[in-house]
Amino acid sequence: MTEARQLDTEPIISVKDLGVEFYRSRKRQLSLREMLFRGKSGTSKETFWALDGVTFDIHPGEAVGLVGGNGAGKSTLLKMIAGVLLPDRGSVDVHGGVAPLIELTGGFVNDLSARDNIYLTAGLHGLTRAQVDEHFDEIVDFAGPQVRAGLDMPYRHFSSGMKVRLGFAVITTLDEPIVVVDEVLAVGDREFREKCYKRMESLLASGKTLFLVSHSESNLKRFGDRGLYLRQGKLVLDGPMDDVLAAYNADIDSAS
Amino acid sequence: MGLIDRTRAVRDRRGVLRTLVVRDLQVRYAQSVLGYVWTILDPLLMSLIYFVVFVFIFKRGDIGHQPYFLFLIVGLLSWQWFSGTLTDTSRALIQEAKLVRSTNLPREIWVVRVVLSKGVEFLLSLPVLLLFLVIYLIRGKAHINGWLVLFPVGVLVEFIALVGLGLLLAPVTALVSDTQRVIRIALRMLFYATPIIYASHLVPAPYDVITWLNPMTGILEMLRAGFFPHPPGQEIEWGAIAVGAVMSVLLLLVGSWVFGRLERAVLKEI
Repeated sequence: MTEARQLDTEPIISVKDLGVEFYRSRKRQLSLREMLFRGKSGTSKETFWALDGVTFDIHPGEAVGLVGGNGAGKSTLLKMIAGVLLPDRGSVDVHGGVAPLIELTGGFVNDLSARDNIYLTAGLHGLTRAQVDEHFDEIVDFAGPQVRAGLDMPYRHFSSGMKVRLGFAVITTLDEPIVVVDEVLAVGDREFREKCYKRMESLLASGKTLFLVSHSESNLKRFGDRGLYLRQGKLVLDGPMDDVLAAYNADIDSAS
Repeated sequence: MGLIDRTRAVRDRRGVLRTLVVRDLQVRYAQSVLGYVWTILDPLLMSLIYFVVFVFIFKRGDIGHQPYFLFLIVGLLSWQWFSGTLTDTSRALIQEAKLVRSTNLPREIWVVRVVLSKGVEFLLSLPVLLLFLVIYLIRGKAHINGWLVLFPVGVLVEFIALVGLGLLLAPVTALVSDTQRVIRIALRMLFYATPIIYASHLVPAPYDVITWLNPMTGILEMLRAGFFPHPPGQEIEWGAIAVGAVMSVLLLLVGSWVFGRLERAVLKEI
């Protein structure tokens, strides 16, 4: 089904032999004191490749789901595409802006009001004030009546659900050709989840390219028509979502 | 990417930069009525302390240009920009880790943003300097001359030096956890090694040339040139100015090189 698209368009995301190396110990934080008194950093220098030789192309309008167990490199790959991590080997070429549904509440400041926060976060992702003005009501409507009631309250008083809703509403308003989604669909109550699904479907319908990480098979099937199966940093299968999920499930079953 | 590409990338996102600076100022000023007072209170009180210590206790009001209080204010206001920026830029990437992790902006923005917001604070504190200048002018004790044109140049050179130092320190601090303590101590030492409470022409040779390596020496020379007379023995030290400007540009080059080298590792750590 993706074949036809590949023929008539240039790839919008092009990943070639991508590799990224991490230190085995979670934090490598060095300390001058330790370096001076022990002559070395004290932590192990052992590394592993979180992504190793990953190559694929994605064409405009495709909906791609990443499949794999914990630590397979899914989130790392997503961050590479969002441009918030840099490769140690190979290359990631992304043609067009990315709306990252990654750390949804990352841009918000506790002490400012929700209203100021909307302008600020949307501004950080490249919207001008006029553009935010234009979409302001849409954002607040989407975030729900509780958020609207608390617009001039400091953001710190929001419940965690309200925070995520606001974040989701702001980021999905960005008119970027690529949307990357990291597990955020799992948050919020059922009503909001349904709203998110609808928003994502309309994004897809409007021709955006979707890149999704999820552990939920139903979400993957709903939003992804192409699957990438990552295992220990290597891309083991790239194909229609149903085949990829079948392969993934077969691997789990055979292991247990 | 070279320095020019990076500069262009930052310039392309100047809207974001403005948003961030406005946010900093909002947090700083809108939150409390005392916001503005706090920024000027510290340098004013320090000026007062040094004034009392050197003029009334040591009877050495002659270690700087006259009037000594005005001399102190110029020095301490610009030093506050310098030290405040270095303290904050060293935290720039760690403190905003969530934002750095979730937005694809040229990472230099997080450093430039601190230099700019502290710089705006510095500019906003200049009316205090103006006020004391007017008071001393009315009392016939102050002096103004054409070298005032060096003042904006000094501000520009200080900006360049700070961006360079910030680019150098921010990634190092993100990787080496106790760098911030070292910076705090270094800043305290540097305060006395910088001609803030004394004039640079009082530093005995050959040490005077060594203090030129500190870009703040030349920067202060430029900031002060227009406010004080220059009789023989107190001429503007063009050597300090030239060396300071060169050092600032060197810092910018080294800083952006180091930042580019460490960026990859920093993004994995934060």
